[in-house]
Amino acid sequence: MKLTGIGASEGVAVGPAFVPATGNPEPERDRITEAEVQTELQKFKEAVEAVAANLSETGDRLRAAGSEGEAAIFDFHVEMAEDPELASAVEERIGNLESPEAAVLAVGEEYAAQYAAMDDEYLAARADDVRDVTGQISAQLMGRGASAFEALKTPSVVLAHSLAPSDTARIQRGMALGFVTAEGSKTSHVSIMARSMGIPAVVGVGPELEDILAAKTVAVDGGEGYAIADPDADTVAEFERMSGVLAEERAALDEYRHIEASTSEGRRIEVAANLGSASEAEDALEWGAEGVGLFRTEFLFMERVDLPSEDEQYEAYSAVARAFGEKPVIVRTLDVGGDKDLPGVDQADEDNPFLGWRGIRMSLDTPELFKPQLRAILRAAANGNLKVMFPMVADVGELEAAKETLQECRRELESEGVETGEVETGVMIETPAAALHAAQLAEESAFFSIGTNDLVQYTLAADRGNERLRRLQNADHPAVLALIQRTCEAASAAGIPVGVCGEAAGEPELIPKLVELGVTELSMAAPQIPRAKKVVSEL
Amino acid sequence: MAEKETTVGPEEGIHGRPAARFVKAAKGFSSQVVVVKGDREVNAKSVLKITGLARKGEKVTIRAEGEDAEQAVETLAELIAADEH
Repeated sequence: MKLTGIGASEGVAVGPAFVPATGNPEPERDRITEAEVQTELQKFKEAVEAVAANLSETGDRLRAAGSEGEAAIFDFHVEMAEDPELASAVEERIGNLESPEAAVLAVGEEYAAQYAAMDDEYLAARADDVRDVTGQISAQLMGRGASAFEALKTPSVVLAHSLAPSDTARIQRGMALGFVTAEGSKTSHVSIMARSMGIPAVVGVGPELEDILAAKTVAVDGGEGYAIADPDADTVAEFERMSGVLAEERAALDEYRHIEASTSEGRRIEVAANLGSASEAEDALEWGAEGVGLFRTEFLFMERVDLPSEDEQYEAYSAVARAFGEKPVIVRTLDVGGDKDLPGVDQADEDNPFLGWRGIRMSLDTPELFKPQLRAILRAAANGNLKVMFPMVADVGELEAAKETLQECRRELESEGVETGEVETGVMIETPAAALHAAQLAEESAFFSIGTNDLVQYTLAADRGNERLRRLQNADHPAVLALIQRTCEAASAAGIPVGVCGEAAGEPELIPKLVELGVTELSMAAPQIPRAKKVVSEL
Repeated sequence: MAEKETTVGPEEGIHGRPAARFVKAAKGFSSQVVVVKGDREVNAKSVLKITGLARKGEKVTIRAEGEDAEQAVETLAELIAADEH
């Protein structure tokens, strides 16, 4: 059986299917006997300790990798697992001859129902947290391991409805050969992570995923965007052959990883990586990144229960800055809108979130969000070569206001006696307005970076998530190229560098055009770097 | 016994990270500590109980009984009032 979806990360793989257990386990027993009470009380205590230890270990690992926001979720889960009120309620039920695995689920459900009834979207999410943690304790009691991914012990293709950062954080390195998910787009967490790890992924296959969950073997082609359940011998052989070819191609590209790419005319083109979190820095350097052309900060703010503090952001930005040393790292300020919820920010539902209150528009309206981010960037700049970039800019006024806020933050930090570093400020060129207005923006900018994904969507008026409009999701359109050209001309006249950090930057067919138009830096998913350097050196 | 009234600081009320940090701090005291909001009184060392207890700007009282009661109410009242995440 073949399922088609969105090819979110290139490569092919074939291997055993792994389906992480979802939802809470069914208790094996409802009741116990009087004679079992003492032993079961002891077992419950041990299960709580094991689950708490496992959760805090995952939290420590995330923290060490610079993912403070994700780690904080685990701190909260540890406290829930060790909750004294949870323990006493469960112990009382065990005393009444209820089995511990049933008791802990029942108590968890009581709290979950309470939170869910409170008419507060954040508390509703806490209901899922309680069910998650009590489910883990119950599973542990039945000897099933605390995490759905603990059972992933042989390299496999992971099939899941969707995958959150807390899920992927639990997958041991090398154990995922590929991902197939029912939900998701090219910009989902799982897609970005798969690209940074060089693992094939097909996302958004839809509810048909259910039909292949029982498969023993799955073949996945993350370039073409399809997966085959229980492929026949010929198909397996073909996938193994393709995988061999790709591995050879990759090996042949190894020599390009750490070169400084120049065209035959001697034009030097910097090739950098797009990063979604600090934990990807090391991989990116191994792929040969000469810097970070786009450090997305959204992930610090997503899938968590509260906003990241200035200190937490400082740690995350510093981790990337330190990893890259003198190499430049461009930090893009928060770019979210009505399509993603932000804890603690009142976002009205919008009919057109991509044309809505997002990016710099939101930042300028919410200094309580914007200033801690800018302060964190200024402080972290003391640890490396950071630059700051503003997204969704449509006119010079926005850029001036953002720079003014940055100056204000710097003055505040200086008067507080806090160490800061120099940061250049640049603009992300992703609205047609910014491209058309590039000459004026260039006077106020130290660099440009063209975000082709959004520039294509806005120029061609084609929703980037709409599968039917695939024909128009194309940076190789004369109208888009004309805007890129205009941007490059303005940058060149002002003597500032211009990069491209959208998908187009990593596409071998487009790189020659971009370089010809005057682009000086290309930034992409790290595994694409060696190929891009090769393409540039052959120009 | 010691008690102190304070106002909830965190934007999204008490849960998630602020709740985890609060409970962790509460567990550091040997005293019995409760958080009182209106006619509800909950164990300050239980993250499940204090989650959703109060929203930003609402008044709660920290009450403690034991050797380090004074210090517990001071520290915890300050922690719950902090709006820094």
